[in-house]
Amino acid sequence: MNTSYVVTGIFIYIVISLVVAWISRQGKATSMSGYFLGDRSMGGIISALSYSATTYSAFMMIGLAGLTYRGGVGALGFEIVYFAGVSLVAIFGPRFWRAGKKYGYVTPSEMLGHRYGSRSVAIAAGITSLVFLIPYSAVQLSGVGYLLSGMTDGSISFMTGIIIATALAIVFSYIAGIRSVMWTDSLQALVMIVASVMVAVLVVQGLGGFTAMFGTIAETTPEMLQVPGPGLFSFKTFLGLTVPWFFFSISNPQVSQRLFMPANLVALRRMLLIFLCFGLIYTIVSVIWGFAAFVAFPTLEQPDLATATLLASDYVPPVLGVTVMVGILAAAVSTIDSILLTLSSVFARDVYGNLGGSQDDRHQLMIGKFVIPVISILALIFAAAEFSMIAVLSVAASAGLVVVVPAIVGAFFWRGGTAMGALASIVGGAVFVIWMYLTGNSLFGLNAGVLGLPMSSLLFVVISLVTKPTAASVTDGFVDETPDPKGILHPKLGALK
Amino acid sequence: MLRKIALLLIGVVIIACYALPYLFIGQIAAWTGSFLFWCLAGVAIVLLNAAAMAGFTEDDR
Repeated sequence: MNTSYVVTGIFIYIVISLVVAWISRQGKATSMSGYFLGDRSMGGIISALSYSATTYSAFMMIGLAGLTYRGGVGALGFEIVYFAGVSLVAIFGPRFWRAGKKYGYVTPSEMLGHRYGSRSVAIAAGITSLVFLIPYSAVQLSGVGYLLSGMTDGSISFMTGIIIATALAIVFSYIAGIRSVMWTDSLQALVMIVASVMVAVLVVQGLGGFTAMFGTIAETTPEMLQVPGPGLFSFKTFLGLTVPWFFFSISNPQVSQRLFMPANLVALRRMLLIFLCFGLIYTIVSVIWGFAAFVAFPTLEQPDLATATLLASDYVPPVLGVTVMVGILAAAVSTIDSILLTLSSVFARDVYGNLGGSQDDRHQLMIGKFVIPVISILALIFAAAEFSMIAVLSVAASAGLVVVVPAIVGAFFWRGGTAMGALASIVGGAVFVIWMYLTGNSLFGLNAGVLGLPMSSLLFVVISLVTKPTAASVTDGFVDETPDPKGILHPKLGALK
Repeated sequence: MLRKIALLLIGVVIIACYALPYLFIGQIAAWTGSFLFWCLAGVAIVLLNAAAMAGFTEDDR
């Protein structure tokens, strides 16, 4: 594709996004909850669009299409299981929201630290987020690098692509904190959903229609439509990919922190339902892109280039191709800037604040803002190392973050969960996952994605049973008084100990 | 009650997302096999979540 089209598209995107980010400012956010949570007063629609943009990133449009190109229909199953996992918001969303409102939490790790009455738990959860989310941000940056270099035949280099994405993420985070991030996210999500559906329709039409396209695949490579398919999605691999992603909505702080933000539970409900509708469309469109690229360009050496190749092809009019390309760039940026804000709030509140730093809200905000570019540069360095398969690295991050899940579930459903149990499960689980990845990621034939959660759950339960809750632990607003009018799970599990 | 049933059915759909393609319909080499099933499972998840959260109100009662 003509490089000047791409450069023009990026320029227009930057100008419009800056205007939107600037307009989104509402006074000057001088508190942690103002800057990082939008004063807990975000409406359902903006929350939903932003939640979609934060979750569905470069991974979705590039990684999932690439995964489909390489492994066939199993990629759809993987993403649908993740998608079903977002239902955890229906269970945990109101609990996070109520606890956040009651105690004024800014980060999920702060919530865990308070619930278990232990600064160490907050610090451990915070550091786990930092360790695993920085590589995840790097994955998004790599996505932009692949996309821009793929679409311009290398005229825009991989490195230039990741530098552009990093710079934009820093700027959007700085203009108005979460407000500018959420409004630019929403703009991106709306443009993207329309443009990506149009691309899918045009490409499928170009390949003779939906039935013809799938007919071609069934004739030439039927295993692409079968499970386990051409080899990638054995049941063990499928399990290893899906288990960590199933818990994404509560294990990843950049999305679970969003549960503190809606103005009320109706806004939370609206956020989840609109997000699910968006997510389902994104998922199916990305998989169709992958199949279409497979039919049109069956000999690509690098599956992650499936999307870029498709967008630069004759099947897609240049203006639409550039629109979607800019949309994907914006998707990566919208994921990174949310992660930047979350990690900087986690660092300021949970690490710095608990390790002897100032407890003053304004001072922590200043530290948080200072950390934003530092984290960005770290992600940039990771991305510059050019990892090969975007999806696999992304899942490594999820396998690491999933170790906080037992402590989160225990916080709301088991009054017997203790600080030592939570600490052991987070630290022990994270060390276990890292050890797995360093030693070939296979134990009894299973990978860290499958084993990380059972290992951290076991640690949480066993250590909790042999230790006592600290005097500072809090159950009010969590286990006992979490209003649960329909009585789901809570009373029975709450009485386990 | 609606919330309870909806959450239980979400669990059933999730188990089916593993079991059906890997045990029963995985060998169908057409879009009407696993592709269609997982798409429909996605639609079911949206509808069941709508049902599970139908009781949420602004005043948190």
